[in-house]
Amino acid sequence: MTRILHVALRDFLATVATKGFVFGLLVLPVVLALLAIVGPRIFNDQAYRIEGEYAVIDPTGVVLPELRAELEPEAVARRRREEFARTAGWAREVLGDMADAALRQSMDEALGPAPDIRLTALPADADVEAAKSWLNEQTDGLPHAALIVVHGHAVEPAAPGGELGAYDLYTAPGLDDRDLAFIYRNVRDAIVDARVGARSLDRAALDALLRVPRQPSTTVSPDGERTTVRGFNRILPFAFMALLLMGIMAGGQTMLTSTIEEKSTRVVEVLLSAVSPMELMAGKLLGAVAISLLMIGLYLGIGLVALSSFSMLGLLDPWLILYLLIFFLIGFFVIGSLMLAVGAAVNDMTEAQSLQMPLMLVVMLPWIFWPAVSRNPDSVLAVTVSHLPPVNTFGMLLRLASSQPPPWWEVWLSIGTGLVSVVAAVWVAAKVFRIGLLMYGKPPDFRTLIRWVRAA
Amino acid sequence: MDPAIRMTAVTKTFGRMTAVDDLHLEVPRGGLYGFIGPNGAGKTTAIRMIMSILLPDAGEISILGHSSALEAKDRIGYLPEERGLYKRMKVRPFLRYLARLKGADGPDLDRRIAGALERVGLGGVESKRCDELSKGMSQKVQFVAATIHAPDLLILDEPFSGLDPVSMRMLRDLILAEHRRGATVLFSTHVMPQAEEICEHVIMVHEGRKVLDADLDDIRGRYDPRSIRFEPLDPGADTTGLASVPGVERIRPDGQGLEILLAAGTDPASAMRRIMDATAAARIELARPRLEDVFVDLVAGGGAAEADRLRVALRNAAEGEPA
Repeated sequence: MTRILHVALRDFLATVATKGFVFGLLVLPVVLALLAIVGPRIFNDQAYRIEGEYAVIDPTGVVLPELRAELEPEAVARRRREEFARTAGWAREVLGDMADAALRQSMDEALGPAPDIRLTALPADADVEAAKSWLNEQTDGLPHAALIVVHGHAVEPAAPGGELGAYDLYTAPGLDDRDLAFIYRNVRDAIVDARVGARSLDRAALDALLRVPRQPSTTVSPDGERTTVRGFNRILPFAFMALLLMGIMAGGQTMLTSTIEEKSTRVVEVLLSAVSPMELMAGKLLGAVAISLLMIGLYLGIGLVALSSFSMLGLLDPWLILYLLIFFLIGFFVIGSLMLAVGAAVNDMTEAQSLQMPLMLVVMLPWIFWPAVSRNPDSVLAVTVSHLPPVNTFGMLLRLASSQPPPWWEVWLSIGTGLVSVVAAVWVAAKVFRIGLLMYGKPPDFRTLIRWVRAA
Repeated sequence: MDPAIRMTAVTKTFGRMTAVDDLHLEVPRGGLYGFIGPNGAGKTTAIRMIMSILLPDAGEISILGHSSALEAKDRIGYLPEERGLYKRMKVRPFLRYLARLKGADGPDLDRRIAGALERVGLGGVESKRCDELSKGMSQKVQFVAATIHAPDLLILDEPFSGLDPVSMRMLRDLILAEHRRGATVLFSTHVMPQAEEICEHVIMVHEGRKVLDADLDDIRGRYDPRSIRFEPLDPGADTTGLASVPGVERIRPDGQGLEILLAAGTDPASAMRRIMDATAAARIELARPRLEDVFVDLVAGGGAAEADRLRVALRNAAEGEPA
């Protein structure tokens, strides 16, 4: 046991006591923090200005005036205020009390500068085909952006009881989707206003009738009440799966590279004179699991501090952390021991890539089924992947972190299946490890690996 | 007392190739044994089985009274043929790590490491990274790693390979010092003159089989000297007539002179007299039987062509060329 601990300690220190590891460990939280601070300034659309000339054929004669009214600077400002009010309501629900001024500034930045639109009225009987060519005419002023052809029955039905029409839209090539969304919204509002006016109704009164503001939700639990945090149930499974994957990959990759280094520098035979192959393997697994636990512990700690600072710590079930640990250990020993075997079987990293490919595919699977499992944790897919080694660790953790956790017996059945897969994976890895360590030259293919497993 | 190493009817095959075939050997405690044979003879495989790095297909191995080296690893020092260092590790942590794996821990470990490095002429390199060492320095560090725990049994697989003559001499002295300390030493080599210089006893293997297991003195006594080194007084003298001297089997150039091989059963003293009568000699001496000659004699079975092929193979291997 002492020898195993010495091997584990060397492998642990050889990895964590390097600048590369410290840098790699800190780079993720730093990048996330940077994205949170700088991201909105880099990625927002504040610099985009909606501008252009729209040609309108309006046989109703009432839509175009409404559209002009919609695009008046005062109307634009009014809609922004309404948008702000809606967003502020949502944001308060999620973020708690944030200064309105800061929100308004964020909204202004997000919505960008006021649009610059010119409307050109075409005769009601204008030739649409001829008008289309206008879209591609060169101009020194505002670009020709859109041709809007309002249907003759857009405001009043062609016959009593008949359906109302809408409009046809033709746009210039390369028109941005933000311009398109702007046109849709404003033409729709203009037509609705025209219809409301034609029926002598009060648009403001109608809007007031239709408006039901969304109220903050309160989650009531046996422990008390708290404001419902939307999206948490979706983020949590993802965060736990990401932690699990990072931990397994970090440890597995460490073992793979250190074993290849020991083989290529021929240290391995010196080591084998002092420890048995099984002691060496156990030591390496132990060292790598410590590295992964350090990484998971650090990220989990940062996550808990972040939750605590937003007073959201109560949202996290402490049992989830215990299950994360259990499923991490199962996943690590399955994937990690097989990666260790790959490291022992090859001579360099290039050769490792082809043997590592199936393991990498397994590791990629959770990214594919994460949305489906976290949204429908009781589906056939979710139940299957949470019991099928070696992805059961990811599958079950996703279900546990979802809004509908599985019953306890399913969790422990998955843990049992996982433990059996650990025994099988370590058994296979040990056989390959023992033979592969002293094999140099042509790397083994899968058939050779199977022969090693059967022969050793 | 049990011998340090005992192998009984040990066989190891890799696929269809038999690397070690029914090998019996015994190394007594305190012995200084050479395990010799050309490349591919099965020496490294046998040593790896002794170390329990490989398991035999058949036969039994006993090490320091244990049925497996795994049970006595802390008492064995091993310098493998394929050896290396952790490139990015410093010398002291590397030696500390290996010493601890061998059970040699304690408060004075660093002092012992410094002392051992001092003895091999590497004082002050403890803080250097292993990839900063020259090849010779690396080999010495590896030797220190194999002996830092003062083992009872020291097994060295091709310890001299790749060393320059000065380092070779230093390593030979270190091996002899370990033997004087009381360690049993078994070292393998395909360079037979090295074994002649150091060993008390040699075990020769060829194609996985043992062909000789004897004390060096016994070998010298057992194998008749049949080789005469001769230098003519006149370097330009015609020596072709020596081939027809009675008792002379073959002549071949040997440095500045000739090596004259006598036919089996020829009296060396009479033959030397007849050679001097035929050509005036500046130097003539009866050569002691060399291990290479003994090996060739044992393996070639008297066939001249096979003997020549073996000699060339052995010399090429000794010079680092493919055998």
